[in-house]
Amino acid sequence: MIWYKSWLDTRSRFLVGLVLLVLSALGTVFYYPQVLKLIPMANSIEASGELGRRIREGAQLSSSFRGYVWAQWMRQAMTNLATLFAVLLGAGGLFSRASGDSALYALSMPASRDRVLGVRAVTGLAELAAMAVIPVILLPLLSPGVGEHYSVVDALVHGACLFVAAATFFSLALLLSTVFTDLWRPLLIACGVAIAMSLYEAVLRGQSRYGIFRVMSGEDYFRTGHLPWLGLFASAIASAAMLYTATRTLARQDF
Amino acid sequence: MADGFVIETADLRKTYDGVEALRGLTLQVPAGSICGFLGRNGAGKTTTIKILLGMARPTSGRARVFGLPADRPEPSVEIRRRTGFVSEDKDLYDGMTVDEMIRYTRGFYPRWRVDLEQRYLRAFDLPAARKVKALSRGMRTKLALLLAFSRGADLLILDEPTSGLDPVVTEEVLQAIVSHVARAEMSVFFSSHQIGEVDQIADHVAIVERGQVAVAGGLDDLRERYCRIQLVFDREAPEPVLRTPGVVRIRRDGRVLSVLSGAGAAGILDEVRPLGPLSTEVVPVTLKEIFLETVKAED
Repeated sequence: MIWYKSWLDTRSRFLVGLVLLVLSALGTVFYYPQVLKLIPMANSIEASGELGRRIREGAQLSSSFRGYVWAQWMRQAMTNLATLFAVLLGAGGLFSRASGDSALYALSMPASRDRVLGVRAVTGLAELAAMAVIPVILLPLLSPGVGEHYSVVDALVHGACLFVAAATFFSLALLLSTVFTDLWRPLLIACGVAIAMSLYEAVLRGQSRYGIFRVMSGEDYFRTGHLPWLGLFASAIASAAMLYTATRTLARQDF
Repeated sequence: MADGFVIETADLRKTYDGVEALRGLTLQVPAGSICGFLGRNGAGKTTTIKILLGMARPTSGRARVFGLPADRPEPSVEIRRRTGFVSEDKDLYDGMTVDEMIRYTRGFYPRWRVDLEQRYLRAFDLPAARKVKALSRGMRTKLALLLAFSRGADLLILDEPTSGLDPVVTEEVLQAIVSHVARAEMSVFFSSHQIGEVDQIADHVAIVERGQVAVAGGLDDLRERYCRIQLVFDREAPEPVLRTPGVVRIRRDGRVLSVLSGAGAAGILDEVRPLGPLSTEVVPVTLKEIFLETVKAED
């Protein structure tokens, strides 16, 4: 029954996130023919500096469907949405007063805090995995509709990278939810951390080889065909450490 | 169950951000009793209950329920498996319907009593399809009681079960508790600051004041032990220093000296006789008087 309650608590956030990501995947695929028409125009634009570099890179990547999907969707819309919904899924919980329920009823049930938090974490991570995999798996299914091909393996690898890296933000939000009793502080702090890390990667591109958003977008895999093992491993370790800290924090908490 | 007590605490202390909520609370609740846990707002009733149910950890001291340590995670789960609880705010899941709430709770309790669930659904006239957030406070309390009663629990812990209810619903709730306990072999520990309802349904009482148990025992025993000795003098009443154990409070009002005793009248009568009172009268006291005098004595 904890699974059921955990699902009830998170289902609206999960379903909204899933629908948005699926719509964004559909839009990306079916907009590609329009993009192809714009590429010659992009090549003729004369712009210098970072803006010019980005336009030229975008046009160059978009000349292939795989490059277009990565540059326009996985590197931008998908990572931003996945980060946002990872944070939303992690915030709140069975013992949180943020969900509108007082924690006391959940605490009066014969279930340990570790178990309740564990179920909450697994439910959220499963939803996050579904949000990472279902939209990307649509790419190979829908791409023939615009006369293109997208590899199932590529889709799954990008989905896996997205899930593992986004799980870090989920775990951070869950950890913060065991520290703060309201919904807003975990949300705002986790989003703040995500924005700070994204700015760091944008400003210091050369030093962001293992930046979390680079891992999330699967950039290394896209460019070299190699998985970002170190980044994935670091993300998984960070998630596990934060989830463990969350259980310890909750165990010490008075309600 | 250790020594026939369903709940035992010893020198229980709890400090929240430097504020002492419990200051060495020692309590024993006999198995099979209905124990009223009486105290003013902020006396430490809810904190004690939270510690018993593993919702808060004691700063020091010992708390046991069914002989199991309440501050350890695994025994605490077992305590909650055998305990029905109704919180002061009747915390339930607002987004669920009455029926969902019942099905959800049922899943946790292997000894769930479907017969009781059905009986109380009918008796309380609870609308199964209505969302919990749409229930009145009285209905919410009744649903919380149904959920606590149907667990097949050995112990009911009720935190201010009638708070915020009108007199009619209060009476219904008290009657439901009494008739449920009469049918089942169980113990009840309920906190209240309503002396009348403790007097009405409890057979044991513990009065808590400033985080300590000031008075505890069987209600009949307390009524036997506690009495007021009224002494009238032909002059201004003297200010005696009474050494007899059990003196709770001494009050002087003109020619009248009033002594509240918690250990019978005999010893005090022997001690005050040399003062030469004109008349001496021993009168029984109500639970309300015991409570008020205890609380005032602590002040």
